[in-house]
Amino acid sequence: MKKALFAGAVCLLLPTIGLAGEYNLTVDRVEIDTGDFVKQGIGYNGKSPGPVMRFKEGENVSINVTNNLNETTSIHWHGIILPFDQDGVPGISFPGIAPGETFTYNFPITQAGTYWFHSHSGFQEPDGAYGSIVIEPDGREPFRYDRDYVVQLTDKHPDSSERVMRNLKVMSDYYNREQQTVGEFFSDAAENGLMNTVKDRMAWGDMRMMKADVEDLQGFTGLINGKGPKQNWTGIFEPGERIRLRFINSSAMTYFDIRIPGLNMTVVQADGNNVQPVNVDEFRIGVAETYDVIVRPKDEQAYTIFAESMGRTGYARATLATEKGMEAAVPGLREPARLTMADMGGMTGMSGMNHGGMGKGDMMGSGTMSGMDHGAMKDMDHSAMKDMDQSAMKDMDQSAMKDMAGMDHSKMANMDHGSMMMPEGGASDPFYAQGSGLIPTAANGGKFLSYADLKAQKPLYEEREPTREIELRLTGNMERYIWSINDVKYEDADPIRLKYGERVRFKFVNETMMTHPMHLHGMWSILDVGAGQWNPIKHTVSVQPGTTVYVETEVDAPGQWAFHCHLSYHMAAGMFRKIIVEGGPESNQAGSGEHSDAIGGDA
Amino acid sequence: MVSSKFVIAAFAMSMSAAALGAGTHGDEHGHGAKNGEPGKASDANRAVTVEMHDNYYEPDAIEVKPGETVRFVIKNKGSLVHEFNIGTPAMHESHQKEMMKMVQHGVIQGGKLNRDMMEMDMGDGTSMKHDDPNSVLLEPGESKEVIWKFSEKGDIEFACNVPGHYQSGMYGKVNFN
Repeated sequence: MKKALFAGAVCLLLPTIGLAGEYNLTVDRVEIDTGDFVKQGIGYNGKSPGPVMRFKEGENVSINVTNNLNETTSIHWHGIILPFDQDGVPGISFPGIAPGETFTYNFPITQAGTYWFHSHSGFQEPDGAYGSIVIEPDGREPFRYDRDYVVQLTDKHPDSSERVMRNLKVMSDYYNREQQTVGEFFSDAAENGLMNTVKDRMAWGDMRMMKADVEDLQGFTGLINGKGPKQNWTGIFEPGERIRLRFINSSAMTYFDIRIPGLNMTVVQADGNNVQPVNVDEFRIGVAETYDVIVRPKDEQAYTIFAESMGRTGYARATLATEKGMEAAVPGLREPARLTMADMGGMTGMSGMNHGGMGKGDMMGSGTMSGMDHGAMKDMDHSAMKDMDQSAMKDMDQSAMKDMAGMDHSKMANMDHGSMMMPEGGASDPFYAQGSGLIPTAANGGKFLSYADLKAQKPLYEEREPTREIELRLTGNMERYIWSINDVKYEDADPIRLKYGERVRFKFVNETMMTHPMHLHGMWSILDVGAGQWNPIKHTVSVQPGTTVYVETEVDAPGQWAFHCHLSYHMAAGMFRKIIVEGGPESNQAGSGEHSDAIGGDA
Repeated sequence: MVSSKFVIAAFAMSMSAAALGAGTHGDEHGHGAKNGEPGKASDANRAVTVEMHDNYYEPDAIEVKPGETVRFVIKNKGSLVHEFNIGTPAMHESHQKEMMKMVQHGVIQGGKLNRDMMEMDMGDGTSMKHDDPNSVLLEPGESKEVIWKFSEKGDIEFACNVPGHYQSGMYGKVNFN
């Protein structure tokens, strides 16, 4: 990657001409050594992860990407606002980059912050084809720090991604090492009674899922900047300095809970957009998200950056220290998270999961509680029984029950499962189902970041009423490893058509028991955290099991775009849509699937 | 909703009278370092305008002579509530805990200050006025003055102790020469 220096010099002489930088990336077969195992993978400029691409807001970049693989490749600039034909999704933005070909991306940089890039072809990204992007703002940063580091996470699996997908398809719990055991069955039975335990297991079996399905891919080694826990990536600091850490989760499948024992973190940016600073002890980073935090170690000692997977089956580890070789204690993994019935995703979740005897038609058509299959209802409650407080049960009001039939999923999650399942004095977070087994708590008992804490530092858009709402149910069948939207997988689905200039409200209803990081290309997702004009803007929004999340999008980018769950194997299994933006400035409209010659012109 | 009697009572109980003197802790927390003392307008030979933005100061460093009295004109040009407070790093750290309570109790809400609550008597003769002479707390668009006499050389910063702001770098150095 070399930047043409003369371009900078020219700009000093002729400040009216925008900055222009030329960059080179090669896509190569590489060897990846995690410290636990060595495997073949794909990288950029001979390495995985690829380089940190440093751009400046206002610059026009020209990036030559040479494909040294024997298969087609592509690079998607994740979170970057650019013309759709530069977005790098084969089949949607462009045809892809053929073996031996050099493709030149050209686009203006109109934003600042921390982003990343990755291949959008096959399983190249989980195989190592990713890197980071740091964009310096045109003006000053609204915060101060003495140094900054990219902290890019991934979950490296010893199996090739193709093989992982095959195994998941054949046996969805192939990589589930946290399955409940016969021993646990007997201890549960001792605590909760044999019948309740049997019914609980049967209910979960009916849903084609198991309580331990927090992570469907286990057995990975967590890497930070390409280094495994033993290899211990280390960032150097002087005591008293403020350090900006740019966390990027480039994992295929893994959510991480991140903490630095001994240090408070101030979150200043999420998904490249500045947020009002919030002090936290720990935060969860979804797949494809970024969070920038500022820390200020005052002592001459080492601090461990500890990133524990959401399901507690693995971790990544790095160190901040005053000199190389210093290290601090590495915490142990906490108890594995277990899904509760609250994570089940509501009644339609059961239909989405092909719950026995309760088809979608039963739900949609009935409109009243009596139309529902009460046998199925009963199954649902069993695991709740052990925690269920009878008074809470009585408090369930009938009008709320009608809401269930009226398909208001968010109320359902809060109402029925919440009142049945709320553990005593448990943690709460409005972005998780009440009583969810996934609600995170800080290891030190302090503050754990919630989406509800994220407020835009400077709103990008005027607040206005959305022009319409589009409901997207996130659906799946775990056993067959089919993941879909509105029960239809990508290859069978029509594109979602949006109109240029409208503001769409997307209603995500997660009817599965897995968390889905939903990523819209090309346009921002304004996450509704109830803060009105201060709602934060993101490129990837996590939707937790059993919850409904609203995001709004100002449809301001013509063309056609990808929209999908960013878990690699869910995306590949069909949780994906093409979005077509109709109308808009003449020159940028989406063609009828044809690509202009100009796209590959420099190749 | 936040100004309920319950909240006020909880607030009063949670804060000691000493802690309420936000920023005037001086010797107690400064480990001997002094931040100076309130100045007289007639002693101020120059005015320094400091703009507060989201979340930084302009300028973010100032030069003073030991013993000099400076009239600071503080303008909040941002869209959030900000503070200008002259003190040692230790004083700021101590004050941040009190500011956190102000946020938790709804006195500071993003771009708004609940002044009614700040004026209220806490039942023990104290209030949350945040009227100490070394600091001002301003809503967006507001402007106020601080007249301060720097007494000696020391590790002095002006800082915004609204939660997260100081940590993310909303501070400025006072350089003695």
